[in-house]
Amino acid sequence: MEAVIEAKDLRREYVTRRGVLRRTKRVVKAVDGISFHVERGEIFGLLGQNGAGKTTTIKMLTTLLAPTSGVCRVLGRNTFGEEKQIRSRINFIFGGEFGVYRRLSARDNLRYFAHLYLLEPEVFEPRIGQLLEMVSLADRADDLAETYSKGMIQRLQIARGLINDPEILFMDEPTVGLDPVGARMLRDIIRRLKEDGRTVLLTTHYLPEAEELCDRMVIVNAGKIVAGGTPAEIRGSHESLEEAYLSLVGAGEAATPA
Amino acid sequence: MNLRLLCSTVRLQMKQSFSRPMFRFTLIAGPVLNTILLYEMFLSSGEENFFSYVVLGAGLMGIWGCICFSSAGDINRERYMGTLALIFAAPAPFRKTILGKIIGNTLLSLLTFLVSLLTAVILFGVKVRIAEPSHFLVAFAVTIVSFISISSVIACVLTLSRKTELYMNLLELPIALLCGFVFPLELLPPFIRVISYALSPTWAVRLLRRSVEGGTEPSLFFRELLITLVLSAVYALLSLLLYRLIEKHVRIRATLDVA
Repeated sequence: MEAVIEAKDLRREYVTRRGVLRRTKRVVKAVDGISFHVERGEIFGLLGQNGAGKTTTIKMLTTLLAPTSGVCRVLGRNTFGEEKQIRSRINFIFGGEFGVYRRLSARDNLRYFAHLYLLEPEVFEPRIGQLLEMVSLADRADDLAETYSKGMIQRLQIARGLINDPEILFMDEPTVGLDPVGARMLRDIIRRLKEDGRTVLLTTHYLPEAEELCDRMVIVNAGKIVAGGTPAEIRGSHESLEEAYLSLVGAGEAATPA
Repeated sequence: MNLRLLCSTVRLQMKQSFSRPMFRFTLIAGPVLNTILLYEMFLSSGEENFFSYVVLGAGLMGIWGCICFSSAGDINRERYMGTLALIFAAPAPFRKTILGKIIGNTLLSLLTFLVSLLTAVILFGVKVRIAEPSHFLVAFAVTIVSFISISSVIACVLTLSRKTELYMNLLELPIALLCGFVFPLELLPPFIRVISYALSPTWAVRLLRRSVEGGTEPSLFFRELLITLVLSAVYALLSLLLYRLIEKHVRIRATLDVA
């Protein structure tokens, strides 16, 4: 199998400075030497607590953030320095209500992002229709996004993330805040993407969802990988994935509110 | 240059900007209030050309206000909407997308001249007289270019910081004063004027005033036209270089979003 995502000893530090006269520097290690690979056609999960380093990892993989050190390659290219060769072939969806122009309609949002992906109208116009059908927004396609519910905005985000027909889709907590129907719809879409041969890397807090969808996963804690493998391998002798997860990240730590 | 991308961005920006109440205020109410205020100042200023002093002054202040609150402010708005990261990571070059936004805002903000002119005509019954109409058209076009070029540099630098709103507010009045939108540059201390001369809108404003007032040697007009174009070209080149640097730097400093 071909590895389409590769992270090797990947690190990312954030430097913050405080004070005016006596400036103090603080270095936070958000990602601290993680290594994993994702094969083409896999659904791969990145699990962990808030602040574990999942979003930072996704940002490095999607060319939004420079790694401090280590290897970060997508489709055989470095995400920092060779991003131009990657960007048209991937896309990403961040959870929550961000990432759409609220004063535009769903159709206008998709048209604009199609332009940003340098697609031709004869390619994107029929695709927009299909995507709106897929995310059940066809009947509200010409209403402004600001009139949508949270779930509808997230569905619009999904359509936006698929506008360039990406080989790899990165999803950062895509079901956060979605109602059960919306979350089910999203899981069905992710499964369909896999059937189409696409690779999906997703982060989630929702362990049953990860277990249901992911072929393989890693659990990240404080910037480091603490376990990796298929859901069954990670579960091991524990009764559930949740129990295995709690034993790996520490029950006390897992119970800490975000 | 991908013309379709540019047109699409210009259209999106105009829709987005016009839907914001603050932009509409800056676009419509701002020039009306400025025109009334400048009219009162004009009465005791000793200036002779009403159009040059009041209409151009209010229009220029309006256009600059719109640019500050949109071209500069939009970077922050996009950051908080989570779309800055999306447009940055799209295959379309980031600088071209931002340029489209700036052009959209600048074209829309040209309405401030019309609002200012209508206010002057309706409220004060002023007759519009432009001494050199052909020169005025050239000056107007060059003014648009100069505003787009300076906005491009500013928008580029603001991508680096999350304190965009602070800088945007800081920029509005000083540029209006430094470029002589309302007050003559001669009122500024000589060492400050050095900064004024390095700003392309300063020269664009002069061109507009000369074409409205007339009586200028064509050679002087064309010399200042050349200066405006050269400065605008320098800004364009500078923003091109800055975007190359900043495209790397924002990813090192992680300023694309607020998460």
